[in-house]
Amino acid sequence: MGKEYLGEFEELILTMVGALQEDAYGAAITEEIEKRLKREVNLSAVHVTLYRLEDKGYIKSKVGGATNERGGRRKRIYTITSGGLAILRNMKEARLELWKMIPQLKMSGQ
Amino acid sequence: MENDSAIKNVGTMKDAKPADWTLRLLAILCPDYLLEEIEGDLLQRFQKDVRLLGERKAQRKFVWNVIRYCRPGILIRHKFSLDLIPIYMLANYFKVASRVMVRNKSFSFINILGLTMGLTGALLLFLWIGKEFTYDEFHTNKADIYKAWNRTRIDGTLQCWDKTPRILAPTVTQDYSAVESAVSFADYNAAFLFTKGDTRLMKNSGAFTDPQFLTMFSFPLVKGDPSKALSNPNSIVLTEEFARELFGDKEAFGEVITVWEENNSFDFTITGILKELPANTSFAFQYLIPFHFLESIGEKDTHWGNNSVSTYIQLKEGTDANSFNEEIKDITRKHTSGENTTEVFLYPLTKLRLYSRFDNGIPAGGRIEVVRLLGILGICLVAIACINFINLSTARAQKRSKEVGIRKVTGAYRYSLVVQFLCESILITAMAGILAVVLVMLFLPAFGNLVEQKLTLQYTNVAIWSAIGIGILTVGVLAGCYPAFYLSSFNPVRVLKGAPLAGTSRNFFRKVLVIFQFSFAMTLIIATLVVQDQIEYAQNRDAGYAQENMVYQYITGDLEKNYQAYKNELLQAGIAVSVTKTSSPITEVWSNSWEFGWNGKDPQSKIVVDRFYTDEDIVTTAGLTLVAGRDMDLDKYPTDSTAVLLNEAAVKVMGFKNPIGELITDSGTEWHVVGVVKDFLLRSPFQKVKPMVLQGSKGWFSVIHMRLNSNRPLRENVAALEKLHAKYNPVYPFGYEFVDDEYKSKFVDQEKTQTITTIFTSLAIFISCLGLLGLSTYIIESRVKEIGIRKILGASITNIAQLLSKDSMRMIIIGILVGCPSAWWGLNQWLMSFEYRTTMKLWTFLVAAAAIIIVAGLTIVIQIMRAARANPVTSLKQD
Repeated sequence: MGKEYLGEFEELILTMVGALQEDAYGAAITEEIEKRLKREVNLSAVHVTLYRLEDKGYIKSKVGGATNERGGRRKRIYTITSGGLAILRNMKEARLELWKMIPQLKMSGQ
Repeated sequence: MENDSAIKNVGTMKDAKPADWTLRLLAILCPDYLLEEIEGDLLQRFQKDVRLLGERKAQRKFVWNVIRYCRPGILIRHKFSLDLIPIYMLANYFKVASRVMVRNKSFSFINILGLTMGLTGALLLFLWIGKEFTYDEFHTNKADIYKAWNRTRIDGTLQCWDKTPRILAPTVTQDYSAVESAVSFADYNAAFLFTKGDTRLMKNSGAFTDPQFLTMFSFPLVKGDPSKALSNPNSIVLTEEFARELFGDKEAFGEVITVWEENNSFDFTITGILKELPANTSFAFQYLIPFHFLESIGEKDTHWGNNSVSTYIQLKEGTDANSFNEEIKDITRKHTSGENTTEVFLYPLTKLRLYSRFDNGIPAGGRIEVVRLLGILGICLVAIACINFINLSTARAQKRSKEVGIRKVTGAYRYSLVVQFLCESILITAMAGILAVVLVMLFLPAFGNLVEQKLTLQYTNVAIWSAIGIGILTVGVLAGCYPAFYLSSFNPVRVLKGAPLAGTSRNFFRKVLVIFQFSFAMTLIIATLVVQDQIEYAQNRDAGYAQENMVYQYITGDLEKNYQAYKNELLQAGIAVSVTKTSSPITEVWSNSWEFGWNGKDPQSKIVVDRFYTDEDIVTTAGLTLVAGRDMDLDKYPTDSTAVLLNEAAVKVMGFKNPIGELITDSGTEWHVVGVVKDFLLRSPFQKVKPMVLQGSKGWFSVIHMRLNSNRPLRENVAALEKLHAKYNPVYPFGYEFVDDEYKSKFVDQEKTQTITTIFTSLAIFISCLGLLGLSTYIIESRVKEIGIRKILGASITNIAQLLSKDSMRMIIIGILVGCPSAWWGLNQWLMSFEYRTTMKLWTFLVAAAAIIIVAGLTIVIQIMRAARANPVTSLKQD
């Protein structure tokens, strides 16, 4: 139950990690969310969520390179694990199942 | 720091960087292993913001972003150091601690014994101190109740005293709207006879007061209505205890009892039963009678100069006492048309107990000084016990160093070692604390008796118990702190290789602590000696009269009427050799005045002269020494009813060259001087003799003094006296006091001080020597090989004994020297509080020093002799 459940924000971050691949680190994820979803996100929230996902084993991290822009600090690059991918897929399918149950939108949804 | 310089580089390139403090804050908020990533992301964000929004806005945003990291998701990711001492390790620490204790029995014994003694002493003192602060704090209206004080300029200084005229209370109630209520309260100490049926009781422990007393103060009534209990003039309120004495188990409320004063008797209805007064009140009374009663029998006192009662005033809530004091200041002057210039001021009820000494009109402490001194004493007692622990632990460091090394090698952090050693000290203090609490419970009643306080340690008082618990824990941490940090600092490589511990600074620290212990002990010994010296000095003082074989009786019932016959028969029957009526017992002063007049008196001066009335033969009865003139004798000189004897001090202040025949005016009467007596002591033997007049029989009398016939056994005299008393005064119970007993009781306070200082001095010396014993034992133990080698090379026992005792003795002597100035200063202050005082003498210091050296010497001599005598072969063949 608890293990299989992801919050909305967690799911969003997990998706971003999967999507950004080699470029998935805190600042980039935040920027990407802001750019694509026009949604104001605080860095600290992103970080906390990343750590939680890592605790749950859906993503893993390694230390990456530094850029001048970051004042010489190295990035921590996150990659989605197969567990993370699986739960993302499960959630998407479950969502789709439910989606299909909404009758009047059945056709227009396509 | 590296990071900072990195930012600076970036900053100079891009010319924008966040404030240093924000980064420092971030470093505090975020766990180390996450910091770099977070910092990097934040900085990246910052640079973007600078481009998009400008530097100022970016700065503000950065601060906000950093603050947002103060959230549980980040904070709990800190690897708390607490993780390093999980519960199972704590259990292990206590296990090791108890094993260490068992293994080093003498060490544990010395520590626990010392700490137990120190804590017991401190606990007793702090229970007493705590009690002092609760006095009269239980009254619901305490914040608004004040006592009225008088102040006036006498001989250039403002004198303050807390007795005021009876008329003050009704006057302020009427004149000032800010006054909620005001009561007079007078415990005259006069003895009345209470009768109910066959029960007859003499009581002087009551007071006259106004009806509002019971509503102003929170002395609850078991029976009766506080607002009405004293409104009828012939009503009386008794305490439960007194009611039980009079009525036994029968109901007292509503009953009528008879109260006798001299030959008059009055009936009173019991309209209230007071719950026993709590122990922490300055009030002491067993019954209350309304002032209306005195006024209803014609003893109305409206004289503004008669300062004979206490006046308590309750102001309306929220009244500012300072501004009210300005208003009330001149009340006496106003009501005496400027004649009496005494000023009235209010002083808070809750300050009366501890802060009631005034110096030239300004509050200047009081009992609080004693309380502070006791607090310091308590803290020092615990401190010297802690010093024992610190010194013994650090001295034994070498023994524990291997354990520390092994623990560190197997992965213990320094922090966890600190916790381990703290556990040890807390365990020892806790054991000492439990023993101390047991001892306190055993000794509390005796100690309470000694300090005349009802001290209790109730099981239900959570505050006290948690204070004790926290106190013991604090002592444990304080005592364990230094040893813990010291022991945990060892370098494992060095200690495991067996390198000796370097430690001149540690030795120095240990010496300083020992010096402190002994200087404290020195101060206390000197204090004991000086207190004793001062008491003896006053006891050896010539009282100026013969106290032996002299008794006095209060004039009660028919004694006044039958005095002449009683006296005659006392003399005829050979019970007494001389009998004299006086106004007060010869051991007390009941009356004085600055209104005496004499030839050549400066009209401005307010010299206070003690007043003492006697009928005749006082010189013979009291065994006074006549310096000039003659004793009073009414048979020979009938005009002696207005005769007066002066003491030498009075002759001096009055400036008479030839006092006989001089006239002295008092209360409108002229008194003629017939003689001068040598100064004798009525007041405290610690005071100077005050000027005094012994006036003739025109005065008033309440005591009969008699010199018993010394040729007959005392018991016979007393038995005969009792018979005579029954004959001439049948209603009143027989009672008498020995003058020498009363005189001795003047030393009770000082003797108590002496007992208390002696007890705590012994405690302090005992604890200090205990520490010395432990320390010298370990030092000798660690030098066993050295001693062996020295002996082989030809050192004698004396040489070795000298070598071993030199160090300890040097510390003790420095301690003695350090203790001297503080003792001298403190005790000089104490002596200054007495008018009649001894001086500080050199021998006190020498005796104290000798005492310490001898006691300390005896403590270590056995250890040293054993070490010096030991066969070097035994010590050297090991290893």
